[in-house]
Amino acid sequence: MPEHTNHGIECHEFDSLLADAIDGILSGAELDRFQAHARTCSACGPLLAEAKAGRNWLKGLSEVNPPANLINNILASTTGIDSQRLRNNVPTPQRTSLWERMQAWVSGVVQPVFAQTWASVRQPRFAMSFGMAFFSISVALSVLGVKPADLSHVSLRPAAIRHTYYNTQARVVRYYENIRFVYEVESRVRELKRNVEPVQPAPNEAAPEKKEHKDDTTQQPEQKQERNYSQTENHLVLASARLGPSVNDAFRKNDPSVVLVSTYRRFV
Amino acid sequence: MEDVQVIAMLVRRCVAGDAGAWEEIVQTYNRRIYNICYRFAGSANDAEDLTQEVFIKMYRTLSSYDASKGAFVTWVTTITRNLLVDHFRKTKQDRLTDSIDAPVSAQEDAQPLSEQIHDQSAPPDAHVRSREAGETVHAALGKLSPELREAVILRDLQDLDYREIATVLKVPEGTVKSRINRGRAELARLLQRTYRQVM
Repeated sequence: MPEHTNHGIECHEFDSLLADAIDGILSGAELDRFQAHARTCSACGPLLAEAKAGRNWLKGLSEVNPPANLINNILASTTGIDSQRLRNNVPTPQRTSLWERMQAWVSGVVQPVFAQTWASVRQPRFAMSFGMAFFSISVALSVLGVKPADLSHVSLRPAAIRHTYYNTQARVVRYYENIRFVYEVESRVRELKRNVEPVQPAPNEAAPEKKEHKDDTTQQPEQKQERNYSQTENHLVLASARLGPSVNDAFRKNDPSVVLVSTYRRFV
Repeated sequence: MEDVQVIAMLVRRCVAGDAGAWEEIVQTYNRRIYNICYRFAGSANDAEDLTQEVFIKMYRTLSSYDASKGAFVTWVTTITRNLLVDHFRKTKQDRLTDSIDAPVSAQEDAQPLSEQIHDQSAPPDAHVRSREAGETVHAALGKLSPELREAVILRDLQDLDYREIATVLKVPEGTVKSRINRGRAELARLLQRTYRQVM
């Protein structure tokens, strides 16, 4: 656009007044100077005519009616079902930074969820439930001797947390095992189990016979750790079992051999 | 244009979880947003999808609206415009558009707008209010550069004032007026060329 002055108005000034002139805001001397410039300037005159024509064309456009199902689709979309376009348009990672994505996530997800949650929380029945829960928790804490002031001294370092955890666990185990009632119940249960359980022949009793004991010249069963367990079992069974005739005989002979007792156990 | 207090109350109710308030907002603004999208994107299908996207974004960010910072319609229009710009970048339409600053290419002369829109009949004055004329102007609008197009749409089709447009476009008011003037003039030139080809 050539910059020259006609009737006290320059072309760039004409351009800034053009929109107001078309809107009909200009008046008085300013309008006169504007119109005079438009008549004489070879560049601004056609521009005014074209801008007026363009505005008239645009004003002739009528509003289009949205699709009938648009409102339903919008309401469905805002309640969780997105459109095909949204599914196709995955946001490109290079255009948004992590901070922007976090902000968008917070504003897009957390805030609406929090708003809806807050709206439901404000109902009286939820308020009563929360009140009761708070009361129960505070009573439980006071019974356990937990004071809120102590929480400020708690060290949250991982090593301190681990140390506290093992200390607490050990204290609980000690406390539980030292309860007299628990100790008695456990010992009685153990005793009952030993009395009631049928004696199973040890699966590896016959096996040693078949096994070649190349180094064993005494022809005695292998000295294994199970032997101690079997001896203990035999003594316990002997102490609690009813004395049958064969057992009595054995006792009379003062020879309660292991073979005799284990045979008796098989017939019980 | 809008009762500020009524809108602020609607927004507050909506943020508090009132589904009825949200439906009222959708019913009030869906036509306006759809028309902006349709005039800018050019296609009814794109406009429908874009309108849904605008409302989804509105729904998610409604709690961030501050009535003291501006009118609700300006906030809604800003969201719409931002999504339209994103859509424009994705679809790469900027390669197909020309502006008043760009010279008319030989390709454009070889395939004038009149052939693309199949308007072969009467003179322009008789067609202003007809459907065919509307399609002609709509097609010409799509030939404007996005900066000029959004400016004339907001001013001449949505009747926003210059200050609101400046807020939406984030440019000074003087730039807004300049873009509107250039957009109107370029549209008139495009249509004159079209009808010259027809006649």
